Amino acid sequence: MIEQLPIINLLLLLGTALIIPLFKKRPFQLSLTLCFLVLLTVLVSSVFLLIHVLEYGEFYYHFGNHENLIGIEFLIDAFSAFFTVFVAALVLVIYLYSWKDKTEGIENKEFGRYYILLFILLFSIFGILYSNDLFNTYVFIEILSITSCAIISIKRKKETYTAAFRYVMLNEIASMSYLLGVALIYMITGHLNLERVATSLQSIWPLYSTNIIIAIGFMTIGVGIKAAIFPFHIWLPDAHATAPSTSSAILSGIVVKIYILVLVKLLFRVFGMEIVEALHIKWIMLILGSAGMIMGSIFAIAQKDVKRMLGYSSVAQIGYIILGIGLFTEAGLQAAFFHIISHGIMKAALFLSVGVIIYYKHVQKLKDFEGIGYQMPISMTVFSFGALGMVGIPLTSGFISKFNLGIAVIDANLIFFLIIIILSGLLNVVYYFPIVISAFLKDNKEMQKIPHIEKVPNIMLIPILTLGVAIVVLGLFPNLIMDIIVSVVATLF
Amino acid sequence: MNDTILKSITRIIVPFIQVYGVFIILHGHLSPGGGFSGGALIGTSLILFTLVFGVKKAKVKFSERVAEISGSAGIIIYVLVGIVGLVLAGSFLTNIEAGFPAGVAGTLMSAGMIPIIMIGIGIKVASTMITLFHTLVEEEVR
Repeated sequence: MIEQLPIINLLLLLGTALIIPLFKKRPFQLSLTLCFLVLLTVLVSSVFLLIHVLEYGEFYYHFGNHENLIGIEFLIDAFSAFFTVFVAALVLVIYLYSWKDKTEGIENKEFGRYYILLFILLFSIFGILYSNDLFNTYVFIEILSITSCAIISIKRKKETYTAAFRYVMLNEIASMSYLLGVALIYMITGHLNLERVATSLQSIWPLYSTNIIIAIGFMTIGVGIKAAIFPFHIWLPDAHATAPSTSSAILSGIVVKIYILVLVKLLFRVFGMEIVEALHIKWIMLILGSAGMIMGSIFAIAQKDVKRMLGYSSVAQIGYIILGIGLFTEAGLQAAFFHIISHGIMKAALFLSVGVIIYYKHVQKLKDFEGIGYQMPISMTVFSFGALGMVGIPLTSGFISKFNLGIAVIDANLIFFLIIIILSGLLNVVYYFPIVISAFLKDNKEMQKIPHIEKVPNIMLIPILTLGVAIVVLGLFPNLIMDIIVSVVATLF
Repeated sequence: MNDTILKSITRIIVPFIQVYGVFIILHGHLSPGGGFSGGALIGTSLILFTLVFGVKKAKVKFSERVAEISGSAGIIIYVLVGIVGLVLAGSFLTNIEAGFPAGVAGTLMSAGMIPIIMIGIGIKVASTMITLFHTLVEEEVR
């Protein structure tokens, strides 16, 4: 039975997306409850899979009982099981928040469609993580980019259309270059299954070096555009700024990370250390990562819109993750994976707390945040925790990930990058702290007279409080997930 | 647009296109084509109808609600067939081992579940094509 859980997860997500449109005449509350139950089931079964995998080791799932030479294969190991749990848990929190956040630009008619898209998006994320096949990964990537484009453009506004159009154009280029890379790999190996490709590449790579260089270039750039690695980030701030808050949280917290995980799978599982070292991919990733860390922060300082600022901050934080992966050491990868988790939680907290403020005050510009801490204490506190985490203040999860990354960099004897990490942290202070200070600490008599009226539904406050607590808990007890991450990283080496 | 020749010819030709689409769907496991191409043909016939008779009449023939239901139903057929394999043979989308009749190779009644799946895909593709076209046409009017 436990072997069937991955496919049951996928079918539950797909099935929900199919059933919502059939429910239209019924009260919408019914489908909301159904979606919640499905998400909960998926979360429970993912946790179950993770426990099973950690105890008994990885297992394969073959579609239609065909062997992996001709058939489709899923690999459920610590890597995929762990990240599916992360995705399911974070989406459950964001989903609860989205119940009441209807007013934010989504028309009532579109509201049901939003959940259809959300569930197809989740379906493709699970597919990407489980899939052990280059072409199926491509298919799921395509589903993921189309649905994420749709949840950006669901607000019928001009800016969202522009942002979504730019997103879809760049993402199509990225998909096509990934597919071209897959084709080149298939041309020389004759396989699409990750393990079969990896074994045949080990023996033939000196013969077909040109093919492999071109393939690896196309695939990394394709995934890099989708993951918003620094020079390819131009679509991200617009898309994240104009989308509804829940979409921004999902895109920034989860979707971008999934592409980074695809990159990790490609580099570690398909090409292997030997090819990666021969092509100096390490240095490319280290330089792009650190450039992203610095430039993302510098762009963020210049922003006037809070959601655009958060978007550019994502570019900087992705730089940290790429830097950690680019070290190609176990410590670096552990730090990168921890940062994937902690940045996911922090960014979701930031976007959702800004979303509460937008829901209530209808403001999005940084200058309107003055004194807002008196009126909306809870959401602004969560925002401050997220901001502190982004900067890397101790007691937050952001500190742990930056600390681990610093140690990994020192271990690899690359002190120069430690300076960049610290510099980028200081730049984060420059754009996160003014918001917190102007929200809470501006001495303004008028502001203090206003009673705290946080007329926001509880169902929106509970999720952001959960995220705020999670930031602190992960900062205090990082070993809760660090132990699992150690065994996740062990599967890749 | 009120063109009698166009309308009469469309009336004659649409059923033929649709029958051909059904033919392609049902012979998916024997000859080139299958659910996607056949579904695209059926969708195209409805697009032709919309072009000639206008969106209003086309909506009567194939309303949004019908499109939504058939779009969902297409994939639900696929998923249910897959689940049959999961229950009977322990793996999603198992074909012959799950007890689907293999039939004689080369005849219409063969290949186990493949024709059923093809029908599901055909329904889905046809309804998606017509929905996309209707959406695009209506955007322009607005």
